[in-house]
Amino acid sequence: MKTFEEKWTAWLDGQLSDKELTEFEASLPDLAAAEAEKRDALRLGAFLKEQLAAQALSNEEFFSHQVHERIARDAQDRHRSTSTWWTIPRLVWSGATALALFVITTVVLMSQHPAGEQSEYLTQILNSRVDPAANPNATISIFESKNDNKVTVLWTEGLQTLPADYAAK
Amino acid sequence: MQTETTPAQADVSELELVRRCQAGETEAFDQLVTRYRTRVFAMIYNMVHNEQDAWDLAQDSFVKAWKSIGRFRGKSSFYTWIYRIVMNVTIDWLRKRQVKAGGAEFDDAIQLKEIDPASKTVPKADPLPHQRMEQREIRARIDHAISQLSPEHRAVILMKEIEEMQYHEIAESLGCSIGTVMSRLFYARKKLQHSLRDVYENV
Repeated sequence: MKTFEEKWTAWLDGQLSDKELTEFEASLPDLAAAEAEKRDALRLGAFLKEQLAAQALSNEEFFSHQVHERIARDAQDRHRSTSTWWTIPRLVWSGATALALFVITTVVLMSQHPAGEQSEYLTQILNSRVDPAANPNATISIFESKNDNKVTVLWTEGLQTLPADYAAK
Repeated sequence: MQTETTPAQADVSELELVRRCQAGETEAFDQLVTRYRTRVFAMIYNMVHNEQDAWDLAQDSFVKAWKSIGRFRGKSSFYTWIYRIVMNVTIDWLRKRQVKAGGAEFDDAIQLKEIDPASKTVPKADPLPHQRMEQREIRARIDHAISQLSPEHRAVILMKEIEEMQYHEIAESLGCSIGTVMSRLFYARKKLQHSLRDVYENV
């Protein structure tokens, strides 16, 4: 469905089919005024065509020469950038390789590093068992202090004494 | 659209030139530049109203065309294809310039050249000084009226009225629908009729 603007433009440029032309002209409230407007628009077109005649390009050969120069310079720049060793893809690959090597080294070193004293002690406690016959009500719970994350509290209930093997090594 | 050779001859040789350009032959591109430089320059000049800017933008357009000629598939004519590049470069430049000017239209772009003092040695075929002056005033009025249009409206009116391009060719060059082209033409014509009526009625 064409808008009024589209139909008007097509009418002005003689692009409407016979059927469309009849329908469009019948839909105009004032055909005479529209015809006058059309003549005016066509006059404008002819006027513009006449006045805006091709602006001469001064020194045409120099224009072409300059385009040629720019293309040649661009080709040289591109060649230079591809012929150097440190191209962008290579830089990216080098960076990625270095990063991967760093991650691998870090993981290997960390896996070889001995665990801290505290974690070793806590692991020992968790792996221990309280003898239910000796201490039927014994419970052990471990939690971190909310105020200070660096402090881990070992909370024992029902134990007369801390078993000897709970002691840190 | 205006053509200097028959369409068949032009198409064949043009496609051949494009093919050679795609193979990296800059000499073939030189021929395409020679073929279109005047029209491309004139089109840009009518949009920007400044010779130096038109020169630079035409240069940029051709360099861009060279860089992207590998992507030309021959679905449209080379002329339509390069016009698309020209329009992108020019409209983009006009928009940037409009932003720099704080959104205002730039009437200062109209450069009225100094009128030559009357000379006794003017050849008979040349217009007389007062005729030349009148001509420049008319041109200035047209340039001013066109500068009041948006870049897109400028493009459609110039392509239709000056280049006599078809709706579909304009649409391809601007990357929009035929309906949009027709609608823009409607408003551009109305605005120019309004601002230039007193000029073209008295010429």
